[in-house]
Amino acid sequence: MRSLNPACKFISLLAVTVVLAGRMDPLWNTAAFILSAALIIVSGVRIRTLLLLLLPVALAALGMFFTGYRFTADSAMPVSSAAFLSGSSQLVNGITQASRVFAYAGLGYLFALTTDRILMVRSFRRQFHLPQVFAYGLLAAWGAFPHMAMEYRKTKAAFRARGIRVFPVSPALLAPLLVKSVRWSDELSIAMESKGFSARAERSDSSPAKVHLRDWIMLILCCAVLPAASILI
Amino acid sequence: MGIRFENLAFSYSDDLRPVVDGLDGAFSRSEVTILTGASGCGKSTLLYLAAGLYPGSAGTLRSGCVEVDGKELRKLQPPQRARIAGMMFQNPDLQFCMDTVRNEIIFCLENICTPPEEIGRKVDEALAFCGISGLGDRMLHSLSGGEKQKTALACLVAIKPEWIFLDEPFANIDEESARSIAMKLGRLHSEQGMGILAVDHRLDSWMGIADTVRVMENGKLLGEKLDARHLDPGQLESLGIIVPGGSYDPSIPPAKLGDTVLELDGLNIPQGGSCLLHDVNAAFRRGGIYAILGQSGSGKSSLFGALSGVLPYKGEARLEGRSLRHLRSSDIGKMGFITQNPQDQFIGGTVRQEIMASLRRMPDAEKRSEEILRAIRLWRYRDISPYLLSQGQQRRLGTAALIAYDCHCLICDEPTYAQDRRNTIAIMDALCRQAREKNIALVFSTHDRKLAEDYADMIFEIKGGTLNAVS
Repeated sequence: MRSLNPACKFISLLAVTVVLAGRMDPLWNTAAFILSAALIIVSGVRIRTLLLLLLPVALAALGMFFTGYRFTADSAMPVSSAAFLSGSSQLVNGITQASRVFAYAGLGYLFALTTDRILMVRSFRRQFHLPQVFAYGLLAAWGAFPHMAMEYRKTKAAFRARGIRVFPVSPALLAPLLVKSVRWSDELSIAMESKGFSARAERSDSSPAKVHLRDWIMLILCCAVLPAASILI
Repeated sequence: MGIRFENLAFSYSDDLRPVVDGLDGAFSRSEVTILTGASGCGKSTLLYLAAGLYPGSAGTLRSGCVEVDGKELRKLQPPQRARIAGMMFQNPDLQFCMDTVRNEIIFCLENICTPPEEIGRKVDEALAFCGISGLGDRMLHSLSGGEKQKTALACLVAIKPEWIFLDEPFANIDEESARSIAMKLGRLHSEQGMGILAVDHRLDSWMGIADTVRVMENGKLLGEKLDARHLDPGQLESLGIIVPGGSYDPSIPPAKLGDTVLELDGLNIPQGGSCLLHDVNAAFRRGGIYAILGQSGSGKSSLFGALSGVLPYKGEARLEGRSLRHLRSSDIGKMGFITQNPQDQFIGGTVRQEIMASLRRMPDAEKRSEEILRAIRLWRYRDISPYLLSQGQQRRLGTAALIAYDCHCLICDEPTYAQDRRNTIAIMDALCRQAREKNIALVFSTHDRKLAEDYADMIFEIKGGTLNAVS
């Protein structure tokens, strides 16, 4: 998965999500999730990392299960005691909704965990003609992101140093962080400009992102074979 | 060949006074020039103007022009500009946009349209020149400050500009890295003829490679051109530059030490996989003034960061006998902090709110805040954001805000950083008087041994990864 062209991978996985959106079938959802998880593990991601990432997904899936279970198409409104009796259509609906969450999360993680962000920017620029100021600006912001946690702690300490207690998401705490992030973006853009980066000027490309045969196969499988199978089965 | 400034006037905002004001002058490419002066005198702004980054990125050029080798860089596109002037910044964390060292250098070479077949060779040459061939595939966020600055230098080596401009490049890195980078810059100048103009308030790292020292004051370049190889301490002192070893003649009341207020007991501060500071033991008493000496990168700021709760630590730190980890809500705020970068301590939306935050429990807070702001000459800026002040003004505000605050122990991380002699004495006198009069423990860090000797009752030094009492 890591060697696939990111733009082709993105289109392919998007096509799979569209196909899944058109079906109410827990088997297809489960198959998509298992296949995604298997590909993630085969690509070298640690099982522990994947399980940790799936924790919030499991919570969301649980919520969706009870939503689907409670509000089936044939359930009566307003709430009655009958609504709490187990019925097969309710169960199937709940499982379908929950498995859908797992399927979409699996596909999302498959892209995020198996794609190099530099390669992705190169590929999106070449295949999707993404403006370079947007692509490289995103990369720079990504690089500055780890410093946010430290700045948050510094700002909290500044309040504490004057005897002021603040809540974790207090506006008083977020305001200095907002000012700092604007200043950071200024500093970063000046640094990039000093290294010759321009939104408009031509750049050379040391390793252009190419579309190989394996990318075409992936595209055909996901964008043609899978939708056709979905209609026929 | 050189840089020429002609009647240059620049301000960050139309309603603020010019930071650079009618400046004339020239720098030769055949000399390594260090531009120095007090914080807020306009030296960094002048560098950004020379590099063509201002006024495009900030501020207004009110008059005049800057020419580098006969060209006005602000009128050129960034790729053409980068071939003439490269820049190294003070903050090593905010100058990269890629993930690894190699990718960052490739990014620079692609920006100036280097043919793809030459990029690999140029990257390897730049890494080898800077002595970081082993770091090529390392993630940038995992590098130390010194390694990040070497990466920034490798980017410049790969681009090969005609001039290198440096804005306090050694401010956040250890002495050894600073020395190594300075030597490589010297080689770039002598072997490849690159012009070098560096802004720095400390001259020691540049001795041996610098040819000329120029001084700025209040937005103007002083006429005198100092020979960096034969600097006269008396001449530097008369220009307001701090000369290592010069006396400060403090005027503070004598010490009257009370109980221990802050106690460090076997403190260890981890960094990465190793230990930056180990087995730190010290006791700080009420009314006492304590200095902590140490080279850049030795761990002074990390020690203070641990005490403020920003960085993790092992061992025990106690404030009035209670562990810092288990302070009661009534104990929060008993330890005040003045940070090296004043912006790290601002919590108010306006200059006045910044002072009011310290005085909020006092009945006459409004009146007192006006008095303080008038005393530090910031009353006219009371309704603007503290971030809009100049660096020197921000430091004055940061120090005044904490002096006004009623704490039991005040920790100051290089409170006189980048200040001239007059401001250094004013800041230290105010802090020390506060410590004596309000009977608080004052702990400050500094590079300047003489400052520590003149003001502190007790001096500690960070050496070999631990804190040792010196006197």
